[in-house]
Amino acid sequence: MNLEEVIELLKGMAKKYRIQSKMAGVKKKVERKSLWIDVDRDKLLEIVQLVVDNSTEFPHFCVASTSDMGETVEVIYHFTINYGKPLEEVQINFKVNLPKKDLWIPTLTKIVPGTIFSERELHEMMGIEIKGLQDTRHLFLTTDFPKGVYPWRRDETGPKNLNKLYEGWKQ
Amino acid sequence: MKYTVPIGPIHPALKEPILLSCSVEGEKIVDVDVTASQNHRGIEWIGMNRNNPIQTLYVSERICGICNLCHPACLAMAVEEAADIEVPERAEYIRVIQGELERIHSHLLWAGVAAHELGFDTLLHYTWMIREKVMDILETVNGNRVTKAIMTYGGVRRDITKESIPKIQEMLTYYDQLFNKLAKLFLEDKTIKMRTRDIGILTKKDALQLAAAGPTTRASGVKKDVRQDTPYFAYPDFRVKALTPDIHTGKTVGDTYDRIVVRLLEVKQSVDIIKQALENLPAGEIISEPKIPKILNKIKKTSGEAIGRHEAPRGEDIHYVKLKEGDEHLYSWKVRAPTYSNIMSWKPMLLNHQIADIPIVAASIDPCISCTNRVIIVEEGSEKILTHNDLHHLSRKKTKEVRK
Repeated sequence: MNLEEVIELLKGMAKKYRIQSKMAGVKKKVERKSLWIDVDRDKLLEIVQLVVDNSTEFPHFCVASTSDMGETVEVIYHFTINYGKPLEEVQINFKVNLPKKDLWIPTLTKIVPGTIFSERELHEMMGIEIKGLQDTRHLFLTTDFPKGVYPWRRDETGPKNLNKLYEGWKQ
Repeated sequence: MKYTVPIGPIHPALKEPILLSCSVEGEKIVDVDVTASQNHRGIEWIGMNRNNPIQTLYVSERICGICNLCHPACLAMAVEEAADIEVPERAEYIRVIQGELERIHSHLLWAGVAAHELGFDTLLHYTWMIREKVMDILETVNGNRVTKAIMTYGGVRRDITKESIPKIQEMLTYYDQLFNKLAKLFLEDKTIKMRTRDIGILTKKDALQLAAAGPTTRASGVKKDVRQDTPYFAYPDFRVKALTPDIHTGKTVGDTYDRIVVRLLEVKQSVDIIKQALENLPAGEIISEPKIPKILNKIKKTSGEAIGRHEAPRGEDIHYVKLKEGDEHLYSWKVRAPTYSNIMSWKPMLLNHQIADIPIVAASIDPCISCTNRVIIVEEGSEKILTHNDLHHLSRKKTKEVRK
């Protein structure tokens, strides 16, 4: 699948999409392209499954990133497919917007097992409930990290007085 | 009777101190669990809340000491794409040279560690001795052996001077001549073969599903290399090919031995890339905008997002950056180092192997092996602490046994 075929396959399920590109190379110029797709939370599993079913090799899951946008939280799943042949790789980024009042997202681990670390990270850093994820232990934060504090939030649940977060801290 | 052998968790040299809990029945490993939450430094938080993007560049360099170019490279690439900053041609070439120098030193460092874990200390000293050559070059070119502070938005901070080019070329000839010797020492040695062949196998299916990256996934036969798939910097000029072990041995098993093969082949590949890059190094500027306030201003006025991906020695490194107009910091910054993905493959690799295999298998994905510093064996209430030395001793004992 090249980029056009990927867009053709996925655009029915996407809210909107865009292609971003940047040139690379000196003597041989190539365009590095990435595809950014906005999807609804309800269609996330379906669209990822579609990508898995239609790519030659299993898609490589890079990481999930997230930003606090005020009223909503944005989660982006970064995938690359079609790697292995020079210049044919397609970078796909699925963007999901979640309302803060109803902050959950379905787990992707059943389709892509490698998402488990990122989902645990989303859970602890942004306070997103991952529906269907069994292992919700902290990944990077210590077990005694205070409850209800989410380091990547920009609202009242974000960390304040960083040095005093832990018990036993002395001036 | 099942025991849990926790490996880790803390060591100052490890960027993510990790606890590896192995459940063992006798000598056999039956389950593995990884706990990463030992020492979170909140580097992403610093980039998003405290530092300006230039300062963040230098913080990102300190995420990892060994691959200290990859993180600033990814960050610079992402910000350059989001804020549309141009990079001069010479700078793109210098970035490639720096990236490949880093790969040579990282792979040689790893090869030494692997030899040490197997109890082959002469080989460790030999490999690290020849690694000094590339470290000297790094010092000549950058003025520093480790944190090089070479990357910046829109270019690089130091040029490769005319005087240093012959020195680099001399280093390349040195490694060219040594390659066959190294390959013979590592790949034809009977003991190394016995300790690594069919040990710690990661199947292609597992490698793909668990999102393994870099030499770890290539050793399992996945032809994935960012320099080949989505080339960046000046890499399109070099037509890099992802190297899999079958190029050298004719077959792909996905075991520890194959991971050694891939890394050795990549040292040779890096030497070739640097050689070409030096021959074709374009003249001109090394930075498009030397005034830092101007760059910062441009970033501050930008709204946008981008990802930067770089093939680090340990695998694909990726940064996601979101910029918001008026924000002095990066609005969002997500760092994914290759080890983040690769530690998930420890489980399938270690299952059904022996405790003595843990050091070499864990080391085979090239994490910071110092996490095997301290091991506690809990035996019905009483604890026995195995130090790194004890573990190492177990590993050496096994080498002696298989030799008999």
